[in-house]
Amino acid sequence: MHAVDSPTTDPMMTPSDVIAQPAATRTRRRSADGRTPWLLALPTLLVLLGLLGYPLYRMVLLSFQNMRLRELITGRTPPWVGFDQYTKVLGDPVFWTVVRRTVVFTAVSVVISVVLGLAVALLMRRVHRRVRLFMIVAMMFVWAMPQLVAAQIFKWMTDADFGVLNYLIDKLPGVEFQGHSWFLSPTQGWIVITTLVVWAGIPFLAITLNAGLTQVPKELLEAATVDGANAWQALRGITLPILRPLLIIVTTLSVIWNFGLFTQPWVLRDSKVEAEYQTLATYAFTQAFGRSNYSLGSAISVITVLLMLGVMAFYIRQMFKIGEVD
Amino acid sequence: MVAAAPTTRARRARRRHADDDAVLTVGRSRTGTALANAAGILFSIVMIFPVYWVINTAFKPGPEVLQLTPSFVPENPTLDNFVSAFKAPLFLQDLLNGLIVTVIAVLGALIVGFLAALAIARFKFHGRRAIILVVLAVQLVPFLALLIPLFLMLQKANLTNSLIGVSITYLVLILPYTVWTLRGFIAAIPKELDEAALIDGCSRFQTFWRIILPLTGPGLVATSVYGFIQAWNEFIIINTLNSPEKQNLMAWLLQNQTNRGTAWGPLMAGAIITSLPVVVFFLIIQRNIAAGLTAGAVKG
Repeated sequence: MHAVDSPTTDPMMTPSDVIAQPAATRTRRRSADGRTPWLLALPTLLVLLGLLGYPLYRMVLLSFQNMRLRELITGRTPPWVGFDQYTKVLGDPVFWTVVRRTVVFTAVSVVISVVLGLAVALLMRRVHRRVRLFMIVAMMFVWAMPQLVAAQIFKWMTDADFGVLNYLIDKLPGVEFQGHSWFLSPTQGWIVITTLVVWAGIPFLAITLNAGLTQVPKELLEAATVDGANAWQALRGITLPILRPLLIIVTTLSVIWNFGLFTQPWVLRDSKVEAEYQTLATYAFTQAFGRSNYSLGSAISVITVLLMLGVMAFYIRQMFKIGEVD
Repeated sequence: MVAAAPTTRARRARRRHADDDAVLTVGRSRTGTALANAAGILFSIVMIFPVYWVINTAFKPGPEVLQLTPSFVPENPTLDNFVSAFKAPLFLQDLLNGLIVTVIAVLGALIVGFLAALAIARFKFHGRRAIILVVLAVQLVPFLALLIPLFLMLQKANLTNSLIGVSITYLVLILPYTVWTLRGFIAAIPKELDEAALIDGCSRFQTFWRIILPLTGPGLVATSVYGFIQAWNEFIIINTLNSPEKQNLMAWLLQNQTNRGTAWGPLMAGAIITSLPVVVFFLIIQRNIAAGLTAGAVKG
């Protein structure tokens, strides 16, 4: 990890400090002089309130109205419809299919990426220094790829006629893959999307977890090995408990990112996402901007945010619990 | 060191001095290490292959891209695809748009964010936790969900289809991370420096201006680079809000994929041109990125 993360110095001054300081600095820590920090934070709070808080509030309002293209063009206030949008959304079997698909995708992709990320991180501790450097360089390039470009590469590689993937699979004895379309069957299409997400997600996970692994005291592991513990026991008994807070944070972040999956299906399906490839994010977007059902889209977004709140709260609690933020 | 073979003992000892990062040497067989090395190399090749494939495709002439037997090294390497990307309609326009939008957003976020970071890092006051909570929480709000009301708000303010509207949106997008990361950099500056400056008769404002700001320099650079990456990579918001001549390069890539579904050569060349600044910047500041996301989770 970086010098930046060194635990912050304790903001509380000890009594001896206060005695040693002239009066000018003594007031600095007193909450009575609470104006300056608020003044400093004011621009940020205003921006966040005006451009995040207010839109959030507007989104909730919208979901209780019926905003269509006509209201958008004329600027008239849309009619209030109470919970109509919600009953429409929640009563729609298509919506539940999308929710189930998003949840399943999130669970599968997060488990695969975290497990693989941890495996790669452990491998990094085991290989020769030069090999580790090679791994880091390879992963850095993948991590640095913009999401859109990464998705386009996969679209190109899985191209039915000229994609390199079909060519390579076709080379296997007894397999005919020439001209195979990967998105005809949703299962195969989702395998491609999941592979793309896992491939793009591993670098962050592996490199972060590797940084965490360097913090595991070598002596402990060596002692365990000398005492006859096998690799699995050492991992379960020593490494994982120490790594736990970091594992929880990277897992939570992965859940948040993968739950909001949008770019990958959007790009791979050429901005015209079929029903089988809709996720909550693309579904809300399609309803709002594709069909000018702004209120319906808002209702879906509100439900999405509510579904995410638990995970977010968990992440923030972890951040506070770690004690870095107090 | 336990039971190392005599020949390797010297090398091990040397490595112990060179290696400071918790590499185990006990109970490690040579076969295991060889296998691990092979696995690591194989993994790296699989990871890097798609990246290589972009480069490979970008340097092939048109007919070679559409061969049924793909060539793993361009047989007749050419720069034609890059030329045609630059000559493509709106490419340069969108390049410029993207730069304008990104620079405005990053500068705005830096100025606003630095002040808030000062407040969180240098003061203890009621509500500090609440501010941190807000900063952390908004980082997690799925921004796409807000696109609907944002679109309507900007519509009202006559800011849809304008670069300013998108700049403001991107500023909000990168602000939480900016505050959070700068807070870390400021907290790393010893408080004694502020105190010494105050004793020497500086006002608090002068202390910020003359001590903290210069010392946060590298942090400001790293943070702004990351902000640049985030704003540069965004395409959904700008694609939704703006007409074709007011897009950035990412959105340009998306539209060209749809319009000319099979022009993979120029598209991959365009992807390289678009990704290059991002990749270079990313490699420069990669250390700080993970740090900002997982601050304090590893006691480093």
